[in-house]
Amino acid sequence: MMFNKNLKNVLLVIFTTLILSACSTAKKSTLDGDVYTGKETVKFLAAGVPDRVFFATNKSSLTTASRATLRKQATFLRKNKNLNVTIEGHADERGTREYNLALGERRANSAKDYLMTYGISGKRLSVISYGKEKPINPASTPLAWSQNRRSVTVKVN
Amino acid sequence: MKKIILIFLINILSINVSYALIEIDITRGNLDPLPVAVSPLHVDIESENYKDMKIKELGNNISEIIENNFRSTGLFNPLKKDAFVQKPDIAHLKPRFEDWRLIKAQALVTGKLLIKNEKLKVEFRLWDLAAGKEITALAFTTTPSNWRRVAHIISDKIYERLTGEEGYFDTRIIYVAESGPKSQRIKKLAIMDQDGFNTKYLTLGNELVLTPRFNPTNQMVTYMSYFRNMPRVYLLDIETGTQDVVGNFPGMTFAPRFSPDGKKIVMSFAKDGNSDIYTMDLKSRVVERITNHSSIDTSPSFSPDGKFIAFNSDRSGLQQLYVMRSDGSGVKRITFGNGIYGTPVWSPRGDLIAFTKMRKGRFYIGVMRVDGTGERLLTENYYQEAPSWSPNGRVLVFYRETKAGLKGEGFTAKLWSIDITGYNERQLKTKTDASDPSWSSLLTK
Amino acid sequence: MIKSLIYSLTFHSIMILLTILSLPFMLREPIDLPPIVSVELIQISDKTNIPYAPKARKIIEETKKKEKRLVSEQAPPAAKAKEKPDRIPLPNEKKEEKKIVKKKQNPEEIKPEIRQSSEFEKKEIIDTNQIAALIDKAKEEEEAVEQKKTSEITQSSQKNSFATGLTLSEEDALRAQIFGCWSVPLGLPYDEDLLVRIKLNLKQDGTIMKSEILDHKRMNRPGQKFYKVLAESALRAVRLCQPLKVPPTGYDKWKELQLNFNPIEMLRG
Repeated sequence: MMFNKNLKNVLLVIFTTLILSACSTAKKSTLDGDVYTGKETVKFLAAGVPDRVFFATNKSSLTTASRATLRKQATFLRKNKNLNVTIEGHADERGTREYNLALGERRANSAKDYLMTYGISGKRLSVISYGKEKPINPASTPLAWSQNRRSVTVKVN
Repeated sequence: MKKIILIFLINILSINVSYALIEIDITRGNLDPLPVAVSPLHVDIESENYKDMKIKELGNNISEIIENNFRSTGLFNPLKKDAFVQKPDIAHLKPRFEDWRLIKAQALVTGKLLIKNEKLKVEFRLWDLAAGKEITALAFTTTPSNWRRVAHIISDKIYERLTGEEGYFDTRIIYVAESGPKSQRIKKLAIMDQDGFNTKYLTLGNELVLTPRFNPTNQMVTYMSYFRNMPRVYLLDIETGTQDVVGNFPGMTFAPRFSPDGKKIVMSFAKDGNSDIYTMDLKSRVVERITNHSSIDTSPSFSPDGKFIAFNSDRSGLQQLYVMRSDGSGVKRITFGNGIYGTPVWSPRGDLIAFTKMRKGRFYIGVMRVDGTGERLLTENYYQEAPSWSPNGRVLVFYRETKAGLKGEGFTAKLWSIDITGYNERQLKTKTDASDPSWSSLLTK
Repeated sequence: MIKSLIYSLTFHSIMILLTILSLPFMLREPIDLPPIVSVELIQISDKTNIPYAPKARKIIEETKKKEKRLVSEQAPPAAKAKEKPDRIPLPNEKKEEKKIVKKKQNPEEIKPEIRQSSEFEKKEIIDTNQIAALIDKAKEEEEAVEQKKTSEITQSSQKNSFATGLTLSEEDALRAQIFGCWSVPLGLPYDEDLLVRIKLNLKQDGTIMKSEILDHKRMNRPGQKFYKVLAESALRAVRLCQPLKVPPTGYDKWKELQLNFNPIEMLRG
């Protein structure tokens, strides 16, 4: 009896040590904090130019990754001077409807302002917010919500 | 010595034994709904036929509406008809109180109706069975097709007599009727009687419509629509069906409400990442800016006297509730609790503000006094928001959404109501999924 | 090289050994025993018979002495005062009982029997100042005091029922009956003064001869519709409850009753 107990404990200890130590099971996470960093749902304006950036809950600030994406968009827009775009702002469903409309608008403008600092004329960039009305992922999971907190650049012409 | 005995005897004889009045405090009763008997209305034999209405069943139908209204309040218990002791016509003239009391009823409703010359006349009486007398009697005349409204008006009168409060049965609810898959919802404006009947659709569903609200006379509706992919506030005339955009602003307008005098619309206007509150006079079309802050200011709601506006702002970092004077001065924050707050709605009684609260991933509907004290959470759920007040300030209607599966299956949105005491939470009947409800004022005023 | 290996192995085995031995201790949690609640069962008899706690008895005897002193100092307004000096304490005690009884009827208490004795013991029920105030009242109410010697009135400190009023159980029964009959209108505002006092004249069998709302003028004032609704509900309750559960004897005691309906506790929720 005592022996069995000890055996169990030994195994438990070894198991725990293995888990906690060097064997870093680095699962590839698509969430950096709260912001989606994955590739699903992302479309492309052109080769290598993702069409969207993602946000943390209740926030409209751009992450480093978002800025990188927007810089690529800016480059693309500079090359195609006749192209106009609409920037759509979206929010996840975990908030009140009216506030989410405003939040979506703020997010879209975040992206627009950044593009403008890279020389794209505001006249080419229109903004619309859809709040939580058009989720790209209809599930009710934190992953789905992170994919819905987005700002998408859409070609107009 | 004799004298003393004599005095003593006289005293004894002259003293009346009187006892001090016994007082008993009754501080409790039962919370059971008041048992009420609603007798089917007696249909006068002289009634003529009207179109294709089933006149004979009208008496029954009217009493059923009254019963359903009473049952829905949680305050009354309408008794089953098979136990009724008197026929409707006799009961209306001279109820045998002892017999009705036998089935444990405390109040009795009787009535009669007559359709003649294309008019419907309904008369009803409310009897207090314990006192053995009539306490209210009224008569109404209208077009026969309005018979449902007559039943609701009767319910209101009885409700008021028995509780002291105005009723809320002769009212309508406007909401957004939803259908389709979660990522491609079809939304239409819908209006219905508060008991779920007479649903009518006001838009076709070709564009998204959100947050409709009645004006004080219940003739107009203001709402937000994505018509032509431009999110704007619109006005809709219920009678004529005409839609009118409220000011073509160079940005998004949303979250509209009427002022208590019906002359202005207050709403949010979003541009360049900032949302502020504006009003527009409907006649002169003059626009006035009310808030001027770099934060999101939205969900404005007037106090019933028109002097204050409650609204939602994240100027402190997260969504909180604020109150300001209707000219935008004197902004005061009123929520300081744990969590974030949204959708403030001022009660028509002026004493409370209802709101949505979010905390640790759960949603709550609650009420608080207008200075922010006395916060009471009435119900908790995975997702619910946007309360709207009944015209007597006692009941809140709001909507709930359920969790969806990985492909969005199992998603529903439904209207619910709850009493401000936290009791009587119930789902409202709607033909489709529903969201964004708004309660009208009493249609007869 | 081998030395350091041996050292490493030893230290590692020590660590593992220590962990093995300490783990079970961590898993075991202290057992939480619920505190033992002592329960005392008291029976309620037909004649209210409250066993005095020793402390209370001392206080009562002190106040009795005090009253006796006061009585003797008074100029005798009537021969009765001299004749029966022991009488005077009665109305006071009746009042005390009343006060205690009233406090005890807190509906929140689950076991009234148990509370009866412990409530009595705990509180400073009899404040001697209160007694002094009561004694003044007693002067005014001397006429109201029963003069007849009945078997109910005794001076023994053991048995103490009173000449006027219902016993505890009688009052309880009546109150419980009315609780069951009263449908409280839930629509009332809970921060208003809503007290309805109904005076009843009863027949011997418990039916109502006459009922009167003491503030009936208030019912018809504008803005008092809630009061009206409450008053009507109280009247309904009383009427529907007939015949009331009145005691079989002592009709003179209770032929006139006043019921104070106050829904404030129920509305506060």
